[in-house]
Amino acid sequence: MSAAALERPQLVAHAQHALSYTAFECKWVPRSARLLCLGSAPRGTGLLQLYELRGGRLALLREIEKAKPLKCGTFGATSLQQRYLATGDFGGNLNIWNLEAPEIPVYSVKAHKEIVNSIDGVGGLGIGEGAPEIVTGSRDGTVKVWDARQKDSPVANMEPVEGESKRDCWTVAFGNAYNQEERVVCAGYDNGDIKLFDLKTMSLRWETNIKNGVCSLEFDRKDINMNKLVATSLEGKFHVFDMRTQHPTKGFASVSEKAHKSTMWQVRHLPQNRDIFMTSGGAGSLHLWKYEYPAQRSKKDSEGAEMGVAGSVSLLQNVTLSTQPISSLDWSPDKKGLCVCTAFDQTVRVLIVTKLNKV
Amino acid sequence: MPVWLREYRWRQSAAAVFLSLPLPPRRASAASIFCTEQYLKVSIPPFLFEAVLYAPIDDTSSTAKIENGNIFFTLYKKETGMWDSLMMENANKEKLQYVRENAVLKAQEKAKEEAEAKKVTKREHDKYALEATMKLEEAERKRIENLKEQERQKVTRELELWKNEQTYMEGQMRIQREEKLHQEVEQLKEKKKEKITKPTIPNEGTSKITVKPTKGYPSSNSMFSENLKEEQLPAPRSAGTIKINFTSRVFPTALRESRVAEEEEWLNKQAEARRTINDDLAELKDLKEEEKNPDWLKDKGNKMFATGNYLAAVNAYNLAVRLNNKLPVLYLNRAACHLKLRNLHKAIEDSSKALELLTPPVPDNKNARIKAHVRRGTAFCQLELYAEGLQDYEAALKIDPKNSTIEKDAEKIRCIIQGTSQDL
Repeated sequence: MSAAALERPQLVAHAQHALSYTAFECKWVPRSARLLCLGSAPRGTGLLQLYELRGGRLALLREIEKAKPLKCGTFGATSLQQRYLATGDFGGNLNIWNLEAPEIPVYSVKAHKEIVNSIDGVGGLGIGEGAPEIVTGSRDGTVKVWDARQKDSPVANMEPVEGESKRDCWTVAFGNAYNQEERVVCAGYDNGDIKLFDLKTMSLRWETNIKNGVCSLEFDRKDINMNKLVATSLEGKFHVFDMRTQHPTKGFASVSEKAHKSTMWQVRHLPQNRDIFMTSGGAGSLHLWKYEYPAQRSKKDSEGAEMGVAGSVSLLQNVTLSTQPISSLDWSPDKKGLCVCTAFDQTVRVLIVTKLNKV
Repeated sequence: MPVWLREYRWRQSAAAVFLSLPLPPRRASAASIFCTEQYLKVSIPPFLFEAVLYAPIDDTSSTAKIENGNIFFTLYKKETGMWDSLMMENANKEKLQYVRENAVLKAQEKAKEEAEAKKVTKREHDKYALEATMKLEEAERKRIENLKEQERQKVTRELELWKNEQTYMEGQMRIQREEKLHQEVEQLKEKKKEKITKPTIPNEGTSKITVKPTKGYPSSNSMFSENLKEEQLPAPRSAGTIKINFTSRVFPTALRESRVAEEEEWLNKQAEARRTINDDLAELKDLKEEEKNPDWLKDKGNKMFATGNYLAAVNAYNLAVRLNNKLPVLYLNRAACHLKLRNLHKAIEDSSKALELLTPPVPDNKNARIKAHVRRGTAFCQLELYAEGLQDYEAALKIDPKNSTIEKDAEKIRCIIQGTSQDL
């Protein structure tokens, strides 16, 4: 370990807490030092726990139990005042909860026939413009967009053609929400398909196949013109797509990296710097990456059509925290470098990444 | 028999004996000196000098110096005193022998002891070195740990500060909310009062919204602007559906990069099988049931070979191969037919194919392999490619060294080769 190595960002383990259930998702409560863990209790019910960071430990503030195990949650579509949590559960229900009064959901709908694998929200928390919306992706192969003001039916539904065999949708992400009309949903499926839906024109804008099931998708920012999209997949690969230039046949340019030697479960961009992101792996490791843009982001191909040029990705730091997969990761939007992760070894860990200012 | 060196000179003092031994010329370097407490031997084959000393000496501190064709010994006596002579008197053979052996034993023991002592010191040195390195590494590790710990503490302190800030801000927000409510209540009261009295300034109602608490926190502004924003949110999107197709796939499982190779192989095999079936189906519809059996066709071919109808035999084998191209015996027999028909290249092809199918080489397919080699060899020779033919015959011989016909044929070929090379 040389001095140069110590100049790189360090992942410092700050606090750790053992849970008595399997946690599938962890999220910071915006504008606070509190975090949320949700998952499945051993007796088959859903559990939601609210913790607060106190000293070097996590103190449990509230525990809420629900009928069905909870798979995913987001604060993305609520206002900063209300901070309602939207969750998807194993029974295919989408619920929005007020954490001060969690007995009755503020909004509830049976979104899908099977488990809701992934959820994302846009338009809330003072980020982005346009109506707050929630998108859910499910094992039944459909991706649905919901508005909390419209009951019972989605405002957009992406489903397979009649008679087509369906593939599980594993992950969804919002993007391109830079004004009130534009919005884009990207969905990743278990057969490696990535599909980009444009909600303004209600059409499929782009699709590709990365040859391995897509575990996690994220745009680097939801509220700007589409810049970068990171997709992680099985077999330890992730792809970074440059979303600024779309070629009519070749689609978006991408660069891919292999790491972790196992499934890459999650990717999350640092809210304070959109070129830094962290990936979590099936072997319990976290890798911190930095994307570097190429000298020219687009070039003309032989027919004169614009084609994007992908940059390069470099590994800043990595750490192995556990032997079990780290299933969920979240950066704190308020404190740069603070992040929380949960793993299948039933622990929730709070980490601090140092020296991010010097990167 | 060694040559004894008897010339020597010696003198003594109370504590030491000085012995000078002239060496035979040009032999100085090969001298080997053996000295114990009471026995001194210098051996320069074939010369030998031996002395059983009068009294014991201290052999560790005694020295020997080789100079100018002489060896100078400085022997320190164990007990001071003058010696009557250098060597012991009355030394009979037995005594000499005994002293010699003793001396050797003593020397060996001493050597052993020295080795032991050396080992012990070496061990201690090693241990010391190891401990030293361990300490260094430990120090390094500690240093890094300390750095990390410091970082951790620094970061924890920052976090605490930030957290306190957060709770403070939240408290502030709550207070503001309460204040706002309070103010609104006050204003309502005022308005009521005004209604009772006479409203003098009609604008007062509208100015209510612009009254803000003067504690100018940015969050309070956003609170208000947030309310306004809510009213400006666009209506929910008009519902729409997008129909999607998934990438087509033969297998029901999802695509995985590591499995692609296996899947390709499987698909190829399926395609091949389907192709053969399709070909056969197309042309063999009018064949009888038994004619679709490769074994039956093989037998038919053998019979025709026996009667000398080679072309018909080849046809039978062709059909059999179309039905099942993995039977080596079909190729073997077809090769034999081709030989008879003098289609030598075809014979070589078929024998080669048969040999390919006959891997791995085991005792069971020995006969078949011999036949293949022999047939191919014959074909080569008939094409006058004698070298290749010889290769095949030798391969056949290797499989079965006891076959005399093969040996004879191989000999013949060798002669032919040598004959031709001589001609050249």
